[in-house]
Amino acid sequence: MTTRLPLHQDLYLLAHDQSGKPLIHQSSMALGLAGAALLDLALDGRVAVARGRVAVSGRPAPTGDAVADHLLAFVASAPGDVRVPIRKAAADACVRTREALIAAGVLVRVTKRVMGVVPTTRYVAADIASVVRASSGARSAVEGWKEPDTRCAALCGLVGVLRLEGELYLDQPPGELVTRLREIAGSGSREVAELVSVVDTLVTEAAIAVYR
Amino acid sequence: MRPQESIEQFGYRQELRRGVGLPDLVFYGLAFMLPIAPFAIFGLVYSRSGGMPVLAYLVGMVALLFTAASYAQMVKAFPLSGSVYNYAGRGIAPPVGFLTGWMVMLDYILVPCLLYLVASIAMNASVPQVPVWAWLVLFVAVNMVINLRGIRMTVKLTRLMIAAEVVVLALFLLIGGWALLQGGGRGFSLDPLFNPATFSWPVVFAAVSVAVLSFLGFDGISMLVEESTGGSEQVGRAMRLALLLAGALFVTQVWVAALLVPDPAALLRDGSDTAFYDAAAVAGGEWLRHVASTATALSWGLANTLVAQVAVSRLLYAMARDRQLPSFLAKVSVRHSVPSNAILFMSALSVALGIWMSARDDGVGLLSSLINMGAMVAFIVLHVSVIVHYALRQGSDNVWAHLVAPLVGMGILIFVVINANVLAQLVGLVWLGVGAAVLLALYAFGRRPALRDLPPVPSERGAS
Repeated sequence: MTTRLPLHQDLYLLAHDQSGKPLIHQSSMALGLAGAALLDLALDGRVAVARGRVAVSGRPAPTGDAVADHLLAFVASAPGDVRVPIRKAAADACVRTREALIAAGVLVRVTKRVMGVVPTTRYVAADIASVVRASSGARSAVEGWKEPDTRCAALCGLVGVLRLEGELYLDQPPGELVTRLREIAGSGSREVAELVSVVDTLVTEAAIAVYR
Repeated sequence: MRPQESIEQFGYRQELRRGVGLPDLVFYGLAFMLPIAPFAIFGLVYSRSGGMPVLAYLVGMVALLFTAASYAQMVKAFPLSGSVYNYAGRGIAPPVGFLTGWMVMLDYILVPCLLYLVASIAMNASVPQVPVWAWLVLFVAVNMVINLRGIRMTVKLTRLMIAAEVVVLALFLLIGGWALLQGGGRGFSLDPLFNPATFSWPVVFAAVSVAVLSFLGFDGISMLVEESTGGSEQVGRAMRLALLLAGALFVTQVWVAALLVPDPAALLRDGSDTAFYDAAAVAGGEWLRHVASTATALSWGLANTLVAQVAVSRLLYAMARDRQLPSFLAKVSVRHSVPSNAILFMSALSVALGIWMSARDDGVGLLSSLINMGAMVAFIVLHVSVIVHYALRQGSDNVWAHLVAPLVGMGILIFVVINANVLAQLVGLVWLGVGAAVLLALYAFGRRPALRDLPPVPSERGAS
């Protein structure tokens, strides 16, 4: 049986096309990945999130995942406003997630030359099955084939917020699909609904920031 | 106090904020105001002030220094918000916040339109074969694409932009000064500062009502309070510094230009949108005219619109998020991380209004007056917010900062509004009336204005 990837790694796979090109803006993706890592920690019971605040539950033992451990250390040292660790972790969430996926053999580095001159590096899925697996839960939940668990509800919410609904390859109008994804997230746990909403706000705020 | 202390202890503030220091805050304010802002409205200020543009700019600077002081107080009280809409809503009451936001919206949504129009007039002065309306459509199209692609000002780009504008300004001042020394123009005179033959306070304040346009944007510094390395104190300092610097630059350039005006009587009588370029031509010839007009076109039509678009998007977002404007204005494109609906809305509005205004002889003057009217009314409410929040609610004993200074600032601005263009006053009143009607409708539909709660910042709140 294949080991399930952390939530932010699944989201990373969904947020890139087959050539490794990002489908959404870097700042939106980074906030989504950091939010996903915090959601994973919340669902594992390592952190508690309530009314916009976050704190570590019990002793903060490392998870072995770079993004999650970075978040955990930060929440342990400075509990409080939940937006702060997400913004903080977003700074290098893309790079850390990508490196973890490369280390796990899920992504491979491909270097090409544009027009035979300019070298470019992309990170593509070693096996397309990993991308299919990343989206299968969300697809099943939307189609009603399977009752979503809280992790799946969280992924659905983030896919909706980051407007990655096209990557589910479902024959539904985008607007309706996003509404359905958000409904699924809302029907998850209170923490899922709250954190998805926080990521949504942060993504919007990043879009109207004075400086990038 | 404990949470704040622990955040500081673990370096939270340092890492959360992206480290925009005092110089960059000042640069941002200058980028928003534009060091060469008077190039475009010099003729208008000259004619309205009876040939005393220097006095108009000095009075405008003093008035806005009081406004900056009130901004500094409200930023201190609400360090996470960045608009007079929020300050009035939180400092007085949400319905007042709505009406203030509505009035300042007149400023924010018309500013891009004015920027495009001025840039188009400047380009038309250099390339008259292309009509103003065609330049306007081109500027809007280029900006829309740039904005929708997510290209944004950076700290580095802001510095570069300021440096380039200062170089053009220095060129004009050097050549203009040299021309005056060589007997060009009318030689040195105090007339641009004070001319007893034309002086009267209503005339000066009528000119101030236009000249303040050049200073609008200093308030944009408050948007960077979360990124400021020195917090709200530094934001207040940056506002004052930016205003003083801009004031010094504005006074110097309009003084030199006023002495170089080729036909003062005609300019006083008729006004002109290209008076500064004519003065530049007197100083250095046609090439300096083209340098001045091209610099105006690029800085107003490209660089400043980038900054203005972000500012208007933030206001539209803040009001739409609080359900005081249609929610579609708050939608963003995740793909490009831009407020796409606000950009499209502003582009459409700018084309429609811009083409209309380009067909009017008083287009620039009218737009400037309307923008200033919106800003002045909002600034007056800002002063009231300081008095209500600090003096009345908190019983502050800092009489100067929380009562006298806001009252003086408010008094000057009221005098400016009273002496402003009558049409601008009328449109301003109509706009306010529409705002009041919208407010009543919001109440009728059970959507009374309410602002989202801000996390309290105990260490800064209530500081004097």
